Amino acid sequence: MAELNVLGFHAGDSVLHKLDVRFKLLFVVVISLSSLKAFVPSLSLLTLVLMVALMSAGLSLKTALKDLRYVFWLLLFVFMARSLSVPGSSVIEFKSVSVTREGLYEGAIVCWRLVIVIMTGLSFVLTTRSSEIKAAVEWMLKPFPWVPAKRIAIMLSLIVRFIPLIFEQAKKTTEAQRARGVENRKNPVYRLKMFGIPLMRRVFERADNLALAMEARCYSENRTDSLLSSDIRDWIALAGVVGLCFMIVL
Amino acid sequence: MSPKGEFWNRLERALDLSKNVSEPAKNDLGNSPSSYAEQGDEEDQRSEFKNQNPEHRVVNIIEIENLSHRFTDGTVGLDNINLSISEGTFVVIAGRNGSGKTTLLKHLNGLLLPTNGVVKFSGEPVSKNLAWSRQKVGMVFQDADSQIVGETVADDVSFGPENLRLDRDEIKRRVARSLETVGLLRYKDQKPHLLSGGEKRRLAIAGILAMEPKVLIFDEPFSSLDFPGVKQILSQMISLHQAGHTILVAAHDLDKLIAHTDRLVIMENGRIVRDGLPSQLLRELEAFGIREPLPSRLGMEVYSWLN
Repeated sequence: MAELNVLGFHAGDSVLHKLDVRFKLLFVVVISLSSLKAFVPSLSLLTLVLMVALMSAGLSLKTALKDLRYVFWLLLFVFMARSLSVPGSSVIEFKSVSVTREGLYEGAIVCWRLVIVIMTGLSFVLTTRSSEIKAAVEWMLKPFPWVPAKRIAIMLSLIVRFIPLIFEQAKKTTEAQRARGVENRKNPVYRLKMFGIPLMRRVFERADNLALAMEARCYSENRTDSLLSSDIRDWIALAGVVGLCFMIVL
Repeated sequence: MSPKGEFWNRLERALDLSKNVSEPAKNDLGNSPSSYAEQGDEEDQRSEFKNQNPEHRVVNIIEIENLSHRFTDGTVGLDNINLSISEGTFVVIAGRNGSGKTTLLKHLNGLLLPTNGVVKFSGEPVSKNLAWSRQKVGMVFQDADSQIVGETVADDVSFGPENLRLDRDEIKRRVARSLETVGLLRYKDQKPHLLSGGEKRRLAIAGILAMEPKVLIFDEPFSSLDFPGVKQILSQMISLHQAGHTILVAAHDLDKLIAHTDRLVIMENGRIVRDGLPSQLLRELEAFGIREPLPSRLGMEVYSWLN
């Protein structure tokens, strides 16, 4: 469980913790979108800003890198795909496949942008309670009368809360199966079946227990909302972020 | 409950507790409940009150009449249960696995509804007002992990009060008070999953206490706890009982609880087969798949497990 720390909320009192969740959600969107237009100088600037934000929010770089190690495989894949597919002057040539200089550059930029998006998301998840996310989503869906805002908001916050538990359960299942030598079986379909079915069963069992426990504590959709309050600090932050993004895009 | 009834309950509780209240918790654990003769006297006092005051029958906080429960697959979970529990008692429901303990407890706050019969809390059928009875009858589940829903300890405790639509200030007060009671206040910003087994279960208790229940139900409270964990939970239960809560515990292992209970109910195949003072049932336990507590096996008087 401790290994999955980075995906959840960390209590703290940094600037990011204190900002209104609605503004933070807006920042995530704006920064992610503007990073699509960013190149080396502006990407460096964004990285620097986000690094400072994450550090002040209390993230330890080591656990973050460790928890997100699988993401780097994705990035590597994207990088390779780009470097092979973009036409230009080739650096390495192997039969009909060539790695181009332009491809390497573009691949690096795309990966960097993805890293920015991940960092933005991370700083949001790290400093925001799921109950606050729920309240913000609810607030944003309020203008649409045909959308069951409360229910959607609750489903979202429960998902955020229970993803780490599903990972934990997956790890337990893997360990139990390794203890019985599942690694000797090479057939991936067999292993997927032996892994997937018990995992799903336990996840559903757990969901059942959770539902019961929530019911025992009078759960209903009609609860005290979390406080959404914005003050001058949020507007200043908004001005800062929007200014930054304008600089990047223009 | 009428104000007069409330007063009467309080007086009764005060009489029960008068000898323990001033002493630190750890000391009373050992000496108060160990002698059953004394307990018997208290029972007598209670029935005396009942006789003096016939119009206040609310002394029975829980009344179960002819309760049967049949699961959807046709198996009988509970079979014609009749049980009354007076306010402020510490009742243990014992029995082997599958004897119907958990099924019975789940009826007390309406998580399961009777196929036949009625379950009343404070004279009102539970099924008539589920939200109210769930608030008043708090339940601590066997698996504390699946009971914890908040990202931090304080968040989790506020889950219940938020469902009751209390305002923020009141929620804050209740969270602080409940965490104080279970001794977890200093962990309030901690992630629940980093707590130890005993602490997690105490957190589950705090989550229930924040709803200000009258009755606390524990389903196998000691399962998968280490020695310190068991000690923490047991002393917590005892001090909650001393604070006036009615306590109901389902257990298959009586060693830890026996010295502290007022009443022992034994279940088998969905029925209540024995109901009485623990001291009188000790010799019969093993016929129902419950191990006789060690001191009793050795021919000694039962003493607190915490000693």
